[in-house]
Amino acid sequence: MDILESINMAVKTLTANKTRSTLTMLGIIIGNASVIMMVGVGQGAQRYASQQFESLGPNVLFIIPGSEKAQNRSVDRPRSLTLEDAKAIASQVPTVSAVAPQLQSQLLVTYRNKKADTSITGITPDFTVVRDFNVARGRFITDLDVQRRNRVVALGSDLAKKLFDGADPIGQEIRIRNISFQVVAVMQAKGAFLGSNQDDVALIPLTTMASRLVGRTSPYGTSISFINVNARDEASINAAQFQITNLLRRRHKIVNENDFTIRNQKDALEIVGNVTGALTLMLAAIAGISLFVGGIGIMNIMLVSVRERTQEIGLRKAIGAAPNDILTQFMIEAIILSAIGGLIGTTIGVGGITLVGAVTPLKAGVSVPAILIAVGVSGGIGLFFGVFPARQAAKLDPIVALRSA
Amino acid sequence: MQKTIIRLEHIFKTYGSGDIQVNALSDVNLTIEAGEYCAIMGPSGSGKSTAMNVIGCLDRPTSGAYFLDGLDVSTIADGELAKIRNRNLGFVFQQFHLLPQLSALENVMLPMVYAGVPNTERKERAAEALTRVGLANRMGNRPNQLSGGQQQRVAIARAIVNHPVVLLADEPTGALDSHTTQEVMNIFAELNASGITVVMVTHEPEVARLTRRVVWFRDGQVVESHLAPTELGHMLAA
Repeated sequence: MDILESINMAVKTLTANKTRSTLTMLGIIIGNASVIMMVGVGQGAQRYASQQFESLGPNVLFIIPGSEKAQNRSVDRPRSLTLEDAKAIASQVPTVSAVAPQLQSQLLVTYRNKKADTSITGITPDFTVVRDFNVARGRFITDLDVQRRNRVVALGSDLAKKLFDGADPIGQEIRIRNISFQVVAVMQAKGAFLGSNQDDVALIPLTTMASRLVGRTSPYGTSISFINVNARDEASINAAQFQITNLLRRRHKIVNENDFTIRNQKDALEIVGNVTGALTLMLAAIAGISLFVGGIGIMNIMLVSVRERTQEIGLRKAIGAAPNDILTQFMIEAIILSAIGGLIGTTIGVGGITLVGAVTPLKAGVSVPAILIAVGVSGGIGLFFGVFPARQAAKLDPIVALRSA
Repeated sequence: MQKTIIRLEHIFKTYGSGDIQVNALSDVNLTIEAGEYCAIMGPSGSGKSTAMNVIGCLDRPTSGAYFLDGLDVSTIADGELAKIRNRNLGFVFQQFHLLPQLSALENVMLPMVYAGVPNTERKERAAEALTRVGLANRMGNRPNQLSGGQQQRVAIARAIVNHPVVLLADEPTGALDSHTTQEVMNIFAELNASGITVVMVTHEPEVARLTRRVVWFRDGQVVESHLAPTELGHMLAA
């Protein structure tokens, strides 16, 4: 018996039992759709995060407190970086073009009866250069503001809207932790970075932040959260990293392990890649389990089908079907079920990804390898889980099979 | 000159093992010539069904030799046996055993599928066989759209479509009323008249009387191998 004939026969049998065939396929459909969607969403998240870091530009370095080892622990960062460190980097490292130290904290901001719990960021004027922020109205915080610890604030566009409701905030007094600040600028909208709103912020001079709001000091001077550094160009990234390391080790009098970590864009992308890669793998694994369960569903139904069709099998054997013909027939039924289920699942998965891409910032990619793997795996599942029932069918004794009425 | 189609020599069929062995067939010897029309009868448990399974190559004898059309089939491998059932034998069962998802024509085509006959020839031959059993106008019907007698005629068409040397029928009228029994028996008679060897197991004397030879089984043995249907009264009385 040739294979086309077997396929034809399997299709007839499967269409004669439409409800059952559909239900059997459902497991594979769901499994397949979820594999493709999960992998797609995972990769979308990866791409999104990567784009965010790439948008920072290739020249950026981040200096964060704590040793490389400490970065993996969820403990409070030591207060090892100071404003003086940032100044030293700016004045002594030749490959650096701009330095922007930041000290941030989540604090309550009020204007008359309006309140907002907002990220307050202490900065220096170079912040606009390094982080690519622009002033929409008013003037930005100056060196003089930083020197004199002036109580001035630049509002992010969303925060301005929240507190002033369309009125002009410039020149108004707002209160941060009950200390009054004069609004000098409203920033241009910037959008979200890794899911956090960069427009719901209040920017104040770093020195004001340290002395009046959070009061972080260390043996070395004014303690800060981290430092953003722009290297002169992409080629001088490594030199800058090296020089900053040397400078800070000297300044902190370090002999052993660094009490700070310098990350460049490549490092950041790598970390993001690791995290989202693990996420993708986990999602794929969960979806894979449902695919496996779908396969067991196929096996289960096929076994029932063999039991139910003993008479048919006996008859086929009596009129000349060899055990191999019966085996082939049931295998093909299982493979057709899983392959069609796989195809439908893939279509749904691709549709789902497109939908997710349309309504969220996760531009989930339709991953061709994921599709190939999912369809291949579901075909393989049909093969794997079809073998056992098919062998049961092939082994049936025609006499017993014919007699069971 | 007559040609021997079926020859059973010292056939034993034993079930169970050790102390509880049961001989379903013990030393059965039987010869059936080409063109015969023969009924196998006997009380239940006499071994007539087991003999039929052996003759039909559905079961192997425990010992003894079975020659079908000159070939010793008692030692042949499973896959080969399937081929012999396909090409040399035609089966008709009490319960028809038609596949419900296939039309009458497709059911009759089935044995040719396993024989590897090309599709167009399959259709032609199946239509021919259905015409022969008087169902030329029912080819597209599913089994559940046919009466019992019609279903059995489809099954007969399926049994003869590969031109077997023997047509084997196991209680072919067991599920039919007396009118359709007559119809089906007429077809067997016509097929036999055209040269096909017919062997059937039955427990109905009226059916056996329509054949030309009766083989009587008792306790796993052939007790009468050439009984004329007219003499059936003696055996039934005994």
